[in-house]
Order: sequence, then structure tokens, then C-alpha cells
Amino acid sequence: MTSIDLALTGISLGAIAALSGIGVLVTYRTNGVLNFAQGGIATLVAYVFREMVVEWGLPIWLAAVIALAVLSPGIGLLLERLVFRPLARRRASAAESLVASLGVLVLTLGMTAGIWGLGSRTDAPSIFPRESVTLLGDTRVGVDALAELALVVVFCVVLGLLAAKTRFGRQVRAVVDDRQLAELSGVPADKVAAAGWALGTTLAGLTGILLAPQFRLNPYGLTLLVLETFAVVVAARLASLPVAVLTALGIAIAQSELKQFTFDGDLGTIFTVLQSNLFIVALLVLLLVVPRLRELGNGDSGATGSFSSRGAPPSGPISRYEARRDILGKLGGAALLLAPLTFAPADLRSAFMVPALALVFLSLVILTGYSGQLSLGVAGYAGLGALFTLKLANGDFFGLPEIPGIWAMFLGALLVAPIGLITGWPAIRRRGLTLALTTFAVGAVVSRFVFEQPDFASGLYVDPLTLFGAELNDKAFYFFELVCLAIGLLVVRNLHHGRLGRALLAVRDHTEGAAAVGVDVRNLKLLAFTISSVVAALGGGLITFSASSFATDDFAPLQSLLWFTAVIVFGADSAAGAIIAAGFIVAIDVLAPAGSSILAVGILALALGWMPGGLMSAVRGGIAWVARVLADEFVPSPHTDHAAASRLTGAGSAASPGGAGRAGGAGAAGSAVRVVLPAGAPAPTAFGEALLTAVATHTARSGLALETLPSMRAAADASADGQNRAGHRQRLPGLPVERGV
Amino acid sequence: MSGPPLENRVTSTSGNHADNNTATYSATDSAPPAADGSSGAASTGDLPAVELLLDGARAGYRTIEVLHGITMAIPSGAVTALLGANGAGKSTTLRVLAGLIPLRGGTLSWRGEQITKMTTTNRAKRGLMLVPDERAVFATLSVRDNLQVIAEASGHPDITPALEAFPRLQERLNQRAGSMSGGERRMLALARALLARPSVLMVDELSLGLSPKVAGELFAWLGTVADAGTTVILADQYTEEALALADMVYVLHRGEITFAGTPAELGASELLAAGAHS
Repeated sequence: MTSIDLALTGISLGAIAALSGIGVLVTYRTNGVLNFAQGGIATLVAYVFREMVVEWGLPIWLAAVIALAVLSPGIGLLLERLVFRPLARRRASAAESLVASLGVLVLTLGMTAGIWGLGSRTDAPSIFPRESVTLLGDTRVGVDALAELALVVVFCVVLGLLAAKTRFGRQVRAVVDDRQLAELSGVPADKVAAAGWALGTTLAGLTGILLAPQFRLNPYGLTLLVLETFAVVVAARLASLPVAVLTALGIAIAQSELKQFTFDGDLGTIFTVLQSNLFIVALLVLLLVVPRLRELGNGDSGATGSFSSRGAPPSGPISRYEARRDILGKLGGAALLLAPLTFAPADLRSAFMVPALALVFLSLVILTGYSGQLSLGVAGYAGLGALFTLKLANGDFFGLPEIPGIWAMFLGALLVAPIGLITGWPAIRRRGLTLALTTFAVGAVVSRFVFEQPDFASGLYVDPLTLFGAELNDKAFYFFELVCLAIGLLVVRNLHHGRLGRALLAVRDHTEGAAAVGVDVRNLKLLAFTISSVVAALGGGLITFSASSFATDDFAPLQSLLWFTAVIVFGADSAAGAIIAAGFIVAIDVLAPAGSSILAVGILALALGWMPGGLMSAVRGGIAWVARVLADEFVPSPHTDHAAASRLTGAGSAASPGGAGRAGGAGAAGSAVRVVLPAGAPAPTAFGEALLTAVATHTARSGLALETLPSMRAAADASADGQNRAGHRQRLPGLPVERGV
Repeated sequence: MSGPPLENRVTSTSGNHADNNTATYSATDSAPPAADGSSGAASTGDLPAVELLLDGARAGYRTIEVLHGITMAIPSGAVTALLGANGAGKSTTLRVLAGLIPLRGGTLSWRGEQITKMTTTNRAKRGLMLVPDERAVFATLSVRDNLQVIAEASGHPDITPALEAFPRLQERLNQRAGSMSGGERRMLALARALLARPSVLMVDELSLGLSPKVAGELFAWLGTVADAGTTVILADQYTEEALALADMVYVLHRGEITFAGTPAELGASELLAAGAHS
């Protein structure tokens, strides 16, 4: 094939990537949300489309209309209304919206996997005929490629016109700038945001339907494929549609041009991988090269403080009661973790995954919870730790001798430290969305170029661990896992307490402020990155030994997103939350059908809109709320009588809140109104009188006694020796002031 | 119950219609209840009509209740000042009136119509306009776009009135609003509100962070707006300008009203008493 032919075959993929990128950009520019769920929604719509055509036998045009005109925008409208509008209402940070979109991604993945299984389908229908037309000479190009290209042009032109100088374009920019202020200005912000979401998800659905016939239809595969097109969005610096489209076409054409070359040897292997993974490589390279994304808002998208359930630990002496409660809690947790030792062998083996996963989650607690850096590539570090451990244990690591499994695990984890340090380097100057995307790209590149390559990751065998010559049985292995977890917890504790912990929290909550008071932000971030990668690597090694095999899927890029979401859901800065999250996921995976834990985490992540600070924080808040409601009901407080007053009088059956005996039936109608001033008070001005009377009249007619004013209650007390004239209020003096006194 | 004693007290007495005339200041009962029509007060002639009536309002953020059931009537066509220290609930009251915060208890009526559930956008479209104390302009939009967004949303797409009121904005039409000085941003915020031709203009902390000179100019401008018949609600700390402008004063303290009356009645003692708790 000639270069031109190759270029033409790349156009189709390029056009689809462009459509996907346009969808992401539309959602971002109208809502300020970088929609990671794009991939999940695309996959879901693609599956529904296939179901309608293949299983139900609907004509393709009808299925396409249903999928693209009903289902896709419907998903967008639903998401806007239920998930992202509550977030926007409370001015959530971009990081929180990012997590919510991850929640949607996880939820859609769980749904797709739950309904259609994880297997691949090859019979996805294509909406465009599989024919080709002849261009100049004898080059032929597919009808689908031309149609897709036409779609891209149409969307670009329409969106460009809309965004330029129209009233709608201005409204969109106003809503994105400050949704609340837009509402205050009379701009229908909710409708604008909903329109953005509907268009974004429609483009996502279109991407999925177009991509599915070109590749295998598979929940994880297709989702990841769509996420790789984020390279396009990064090149566009989150702003420019034309740049996004040109980049999409450029990468796709370059990728197919690569097919005309072949190399031998190791270089050849890498090159082969590159031929099908240029988008993900481009994502990483672009993230490192592009100076700054044009993020919306005030650029505080890195603020992860809102994920936190609590602040810094107390630095002074704590009360004996709190110390006792703390110790009791820890003992209880330890007892729960030790419980599996009494389980039946099969259940004990299921529990193997808990400490391993908990360690991976702890690494995220260090990175995101304590130092405030979003990391969507943790599976990469965990997988590298597992790989190094096995290589060391198999004696396959750059000529090193065979090392006993346990020591290989620790050494393998330590060997990940330099990699953590290097990959942490870009994080020094990056925050928020850029950092999230960079870590995601690192994880994906590692997965594609290392884990999925037979040269690196095949032929590894997992021997049972031995200690001092004796083979560890199941119970001993679990105990060993707990020891590793304890080490991890010790590291976390030392990072969270004292000067280091305070400095990390300062970096998390206000990087510039921390730097201004002399905190070495740079090295602290690197330290957090490095330690976190080592802890994750240790967890990865344990995962491999728990499963007795190295599975590429365990460390797939999407796994990082799922794990990150789980950690945020359970409280990003809570070590206990990390362990509970691990237990929760493993328990659901054991007890319920596959994919249920993904679904559960997704649902919980979406609920973050209503419970900032994660599940732990929500539980605490819920308990406090119930306690307050109960207290309000049973114990009089300075405020509760107001509530009671408005309730009772609102219902028309007036009664004094204090039970002082206001006559029943003194409802809204027929109330006489008088303004009563206490003895010795200066006379009001004429206007003052008028105002007071007006207020009294209206409040009386609305059925609410003005005794809700605390000042009046206070005054009533102060003049308890009054004349008992005012009917329902026994002690109130009635001193009507004559006009002009 | 304790608290600073007040000179003024307002109370309603239960009784039948006939007793009405014996009250020193009586309101005729022939008009429909306030909740159904504003004519109740207006019909008596000498009483100002009530524009907004907040009735037993409770509101807050998350687990914290900020307003503990306040009742407040805003007279029509006059300047009402909400005074109080930081955290007294002034801004929260305005945000409740604008619909940014839902009421947890109580009701809000506007000229007799229940608007407790009305959205912020609809309130703004119908002329209930809040100029919030911070971030009151679209920082990433140009001055012109800032003005045009609100002008178009309110159906009066001409922005020249704003430029006539604040000629300084004319020079900065193409500048990003976020790059202007604090005083200019306040001007832009007020100019935006002016374009919407609101019937109720609420301004939060007009003087915050402004030099006395600029603040004085803006207060003077607000006076002309009020003179033109717009109902103005000001939330401020205790500033002389706000008091000088106001026809009616509510003093808030920790989410409760501790004074309601005219500025003349607001003695030094309240200012001291309420200020001392801040």
C-alpha cells in the first residue's frame, strides 16, 4: 500500500477520535467537567445499539435514531440533573467533578459488564455501508470515512458559529465562568449546562457506535480506546476545536503510516506496539510538552481538600477519652483484620486480596489524601512492583541471582522507587486535571508497553513464599500480608503526623501558601510520589501472590481509575477508609456476581455530590444530623421554638411555642395589630411608625406572631411586671404609644 | 431569654375585627391577607406597600443553620439596610431572597405572591436582582460581554444606559473583567444590575474593599436608583453611608433580628451591643 492509501485508512479512525474529542471539549467548555465517563458512555451506547440491531432485529437507521437521538442525550440530561447540577450548585472544585465523572465511568462500565459480560463481540453493526468509492486515480476510500469526516466538519462549523458571537455563546461562557452569577443574571444556567451535557454524551454515543465495528466490542477495551483520544483534547489545550480535529487526524494518519515500516529486534517490538498505540503515547508526550492547559475557573482544580474527611491530626495532647476511643477503634480494626485467620481455607484465600488491595489504596491516601495530588496511574506502579518481584524471585532480573520470594517482594517494591521519583517529576509543576491525565497516561503506557508484552510479562511463575526455608501456608501468608499492611500503616502514620504531616497538608490545601512560608513543596511532592509508588508496588506484589499469577488485567489502566474512585469514596485521607474500601470491594466480589463491586463503587461515587468528604464523613455527618433532629424534637433550645412557631402558625392553628397559652383559633384572619413600645422608649418618627405598622400588619396576617423576634422575647422577660394586657402573651406590657407622643 | 432590650417592639394581638379600631395603629382588615396581595398595606394610603415578605425563614449551609426563623418585611420603593457584624446572616438573607439558598422553613412572598420555590433565574428575570459581595462579575468575559449577557437575559439588549451611568466602563469595554480594579468591578456589577432594570435591587457589602471615595460614589448612585422608585436592599456592616441612605433598618445578630425600625430609631446602643458580639 502506498502512503496515500495508508493515510486514507487512517482518516476514519482520525475522524472518530475527532468526534470524541469534540464531545469532551463541548462538555468541558459548557460545564467545566473533564468527562472521563466519555469512554463508558460510548461503550454503553455501542452495546445497546448492537443489542437493538443484532438481538432485536431493528433496522439500523431506527436503532441509530434511538441510540443517538434518545438514549445518548438522555444519559447526558440525566447526568446533568442528578450528578453534576448538585456539584455545580455548591461550586465544587474541578477535582470533585472529575471524580464524579470517574464515578459515572465506573458505573457505566459496571452496567455494561454486568449486562453483557466481559467477553468480546465481533458482530457490532456499522451504520455506514461498508463500501468504498474511487477517488483520483485508483485510490479508494471508504464511505464510512467520508461520512465521518463530513460529520466532523458539520459539528465544527455549527459549534464554531454558536460559540462565536451569538447570545447563546455568551450565555455558555457566562455559565462556565460562574454558574451562580449567571443564574443571578437571569441566564437559564441549568438549560445551558444540560444542553452541553446532552451534546457531549451524544457525541460519545456516536463515537462508540462508529468505533465498535472497527474493533472488538469489549467493555474495557472500547472504553480505554475512547479515553486514549484525550490526547486530542490535550493538544487542543482544552479549548480549540480545530486543533483537536487536526490532531486527531494527524495522529491517526501517522499511526497508519507507521505500518509501512518494520524493524527487527527489541526496537522492532516497541515499534509494533507503537503502531497500534500512538494515541496513548501522544497523550503522554503532549502532556509533557504542552505548556499549560487552558483550564476553566480559577485554576484551583487541584484542590483535593474537599475529598478529605478531616484535617490535620491533633498535634497537642489529646484527652484520655479520645485516646481510649482511638485505641479501642484500632484494636477493633485489628481484630476484624485478624478474623479471616479463623475462616475456612477457601474463604481465607478470598481474604488474601484485602490487605494487598488495602496497601494499594494506602498509596493513594498518601498521594491524594495527604499531599493533594491526583493520581490515576496507581495500577502501573502496583503492576511494576508485581513484575519486579516475580522477575527477582525467578532470577530473571538483569542477571541478578534468584532471591527468596519475601525479600524479592520488598526489593521489588524498593526498585519501583526510582520510577516513582522519575514519573513524579512532571507532577512538581502540574496539578489537577493535567496531573490526573499525566498519571493516567503513564499507567496506560506502562500497561501497553510492559505488562502486555510477552517479552516482559510472560513465562513468569509464582512460587509459594518461603521464610527461613519453610514454606508459608495460607494462614502464615495472610499473616505476612498483615505485617506488610502494618508497615504501610506505620509509613502513613509517620507521614501524617508531626512536622512532615503538617507540611504535606499545607501543600495539599494551599501550595502557594505553603511555599510562601518556607515549605519545600518540590521535594515534598516528590517524597510523597516516591513513597506512594513503593507502597503501591508492595501491594501489587501481594496481589500477584494472592492470586498466584501475574494477570495483565489486574493492573490495567482502567483499574487505576476504579481504585482511585474507591479511595475517594471511602475518604481520601483516611487510612481506615482505605482498608474498609479494600474489604468492601473484596467482599462484594466474593459474594455477588462479577462487576458488582464496580457498580457499587460507581454508585457511591455519584453520591459524592451529596456527601462531600466521602462515605466516612457522610456517616459521621448523618449521625450528627440524626442526633440534632432528635435533640430538636425533645430538648428545647434557643432555636427550636422558632421552628415550632412557624410550623404551628403556618398550619393555622396558632399556639404559643412555649406553651404559654395562646388562645386557639387566633389564626391569620381578623388579627388586630398594634405596635407596642416599652415605657421610656423614645417615640418613633412618623415614617418609623408607618413601617412598624406595615410590618406588624403583614406578619399578623400571614399568621405568624412576631414573638419570634428574640429581642421581643427578651424585652418581654425584662418587663415581666407589665400589665398583662396583650391577650396571649401574659407578661407583655401594653403601652400603646399615641401618635405624636 | 436574654438579649439587649430594645426600644421598639412589634406585636400582633389576637382579637376580632371590631377590636381593630381600638388599636392605636390599626390596619384595616378589608384587604386580603398579605400572602395573597400586596394591596393590603397599600390600600391604607399612608403605609408603604410591602415588596418582599420573609416569614419565619430558616436557612443555612449543610449542617449549620444560619437564619433561625427570621421574619422581615421589605417596604416597596424604599431603601432597606440589613446591618450586622460578620456572620450575622446578612448575606444569607440576601441569598435566600435571591433563591440561591433554599428555605428550610418559612416562606417568602413577593408582592403577595408566594415565590419560596421560584428558581434564581426566574426571580432574576422578573426583576429581583442580587449583586453578590464577591465574584460579582464574570472574570473571564470582557466588560462588554458581561453587560450584554445580562442585557439580553433581561430583554433590554441595549447596554448604553450602563455606560452612561458609569462612563469609566466605556474605556474598558474590551478588557477582561477579571483584570479590572476592585472598584471598577463593583461598578461593572452595579452597571449590570442596572441594565436588568430590576424592581428590587439587592447589594451585598457594597463598600467592602473599596476606598471611601469610590464607595461614596457608588452609594450616591444607589440613592438615585432608589429615588427612581426601585426597591433597594443593602447588606452592610455598620457604615454611615448605608445608614444615611436607608429608610428602614434591620439589625441581624447571629441569625436573628434584633432591631427593626428607621435609622433615626437605631440608637448608638444597638450599634454597640451588636458590634460587641462580633
